[in-house]
Amino acid sequence: MRELVAYDTIGYPTDEKFLAFMKGIVEVGASAIEVGLPPAYAKYDGPVIRRSYRAVNTRKLEMGSVLKELRHYVDVPIVVLSYVEEHLANVKKFLEEIYSYEVDGVLFPDLLIDFPNKVEEIATITKEVGLKNVIFVTPTVPDSFIVTTSKLTDLFLYYGMRPTTGVDIPIGIERLVRRIRELVDKKIIVGFGLSDENDIRLALSAGADGIAIGTTFIQALETGGVEEALAKGRKLMGLLNEY
Amino acid sequence: MVDEIIPKYWYNIVPDLPEPLPPPRDPPDDERSKIDLLRSILPKEVLRQQFTVERYVKIPEEVLSKYLLIGRPTPLIRAKGLEDKLNTPARIYFKYEGATPTGSHKINTALAQAYFAKEEGIAHIVTETGAGQWGTAVALAASLYKMRSTIFMVRVSLEQKPMRKTLMNLYGGEVFASPSQLTEYGKKILEMNPNHPGSLGIAMSESVEYSLRNGYRYLVGSVLDLVVLHQSVIGQEAMKQLELEGVEPDTLIGCVGGGSNFSGFAFPFIGNNVGKEYIAVASKEIPKFSLGEYKYDYPDSAGILPMIKMITLGKDYVPPSIYAGGLRYHGVAPSLSLLIKRGKVRWREYSEAEVFDAAKLMIESQGLVPAPETAHAIASVIEEARNAKKSGDRKTIVFNFSGHGLLDLTNYESMMKRLRE
Repeated sequence: MRELVAYDTIGYPTDEKFLAFMKGIVEVGASAIEVGLPPAYAKYDGPVIRRSYRAVNTRKLEMGSVLKELRHYVDVPIVVLSYVEEHLANVKKFLEEIYSYEVDGVLFPDLLIDFPNKVEEIATITKEVGLKNVIFVTPTVPDSFIVTTSKLTDLFLYYGMRPTTGVDIPIGIERLVRRIRELVDKKIIVGFGLSDENDIRLALSAGADGIAIGTTFIQALETGGVEEALAKGRKLMGLLNEY
Repeated sequence: MVDEIIPKYWYNIVPDLPEPLPPPRDPPDDERSKIDLLRSILPKEVLRQQFTVERYVKIPEEVLSKYLLIGRPTPLIRAKGLEDKLNTPARIYFKYEGATPTGSHKINTALAQAYFAKEEGIAHIVTETGAGQWGTAVALAASLYKMRSTIFMVRVSLEQKPMRKTLMNLYGGEVFASPSQLTEYGKKILEMNPNHPGSLGIAMSESVEYSLRNGYRYLVGSVLDLVVLHQSVIGQEAMKQLELEGVEPDTLIGCVGGGSNFSGFAFPFIGNNVGKEYIAVASKEIPKFSLGEYKYDYPDSAGILPMIKMITLGKDYVPPSIYAGGLRYHGVAPSLSLLIKRGKVRWREYSEAEVFDAAKLMIESQGLVPAPETAHAIASVIEEARNAKKSGDRKTIVFNFSGHGLLDLTNYESMMKRLRE
């Protein structure tokens, strides 16, 4: 059986719906939760997730209380997703803050790409604070870096296969997954633009341990609310359970 | 013999780079994703190659057969005449990409991209060109695959080089001067300055806009990883040819416009740890290495394409009109930019006068007229060979002769008049 990692932007579309979706998706079978914090510049996000960031940004959000409440609802790992660019001045303070909200880990999508020399340092601080690392790699990361940095990851290695989230750029999924499967013995979760069932099957057949889904859920939350998003989740779990 | 030399795979250096390559991205405030828009701009398989990063990519049989048709593998020639003229202990070899029908390396990716477009059912392709080497390559590739082609040529180049237009027309391409009245962006530029000389960045934007509006597809001539990938036939052949000669290269040299011929030539060597030093050569008049910044910028002036991280003089850079040496593009391919920033590839810049002298020396000693672009690489070869003479170093220098200059004679005429009188 392969894993589902579910993403939503914190408090999107509302705090209540966010929490209801997260609780529901864990009941459906998600094995980890990713929570996006709205950044000033969502460098690797497509239009849908960017829209969710903007919506959340326009209202006052109590990040701490939302995350703490989420903790009450779910017992699977909660991973906070944030661009490290925003926290460079004081990474430790940021990590301590989110740790205090009882989340499990942190994922910085831009860490390896924009700050390759800081990966070890920041991964070490993350551990010291008590959080788990989720290292994010892409196909443009050289093999040697994939090998060394995948050793630093705790929960799983997140492999963003397309250049941006939610945009269905044509890629050779099997070839991309096989390339890193040979290099990494950690759990590999693949994401970015994965909505097509056939794409997902190709990734799983090629050796991915699970999938990360975000844009699809957000679109469902927007059009049909929590129920529709959970229905999507059940469908995806059905597919994952075939493997 | 040919079978032994022509590679069966393209080589991609990205998995072997010293650091992660920053991917193309959308700017912060974008309404519509430019990455998403790529799906309407590039042929699907071309886009897939851009984003499916793997070390070796199989060259389709059909493309291999076209490589044979245009005379690949291109010759690797020892420049004995140049060695003698310089009285250097160094050995000098060059990979002669001028041997293809269009006279430059550009055809190596034009054929691949045109093939993928054709397979997808595309009937009409569009691109821009500066000196005309890329436009010519696209016009020929389109003709070989029975597609129509439209080329936006930088106005000042078109005026200087009517022969290139003739050649593109002979291959069946239609050629327009850019900025043109055919696109919104062209009109906007002309409104601001009716005598605008044009730039590659502007012509690129016009081509993309024109292609989008008409539902055609755009072919990309340099900078992007997929182009560098296709050009790797140059370096792989050269490695094999040197091996067959029993020669171990020390210094590899190429000129840099957008970076595709340099990268196609040098990356297989760099990735396989063959050779000791790599020198990328640009023009002092378009000083991208000395004055450019390493940052995210647009490949095209209108900013229709996604931002890429590269050494750049800025998307709105307009080169000096009087300058005739080529290599006018404002940016450098991201992979090459990264290697330069990390010190793996060194850079040089030469003035037009130095480049002209280098071309003359090549012409007099080897009989070959280099493209003015190629003459930049030759200027560096000459400097290295002279240094070798001083130090008594018997090293082997290999450079990429990216194109011949038989359709650039007006450039040389202009240089002779300005620089020698």
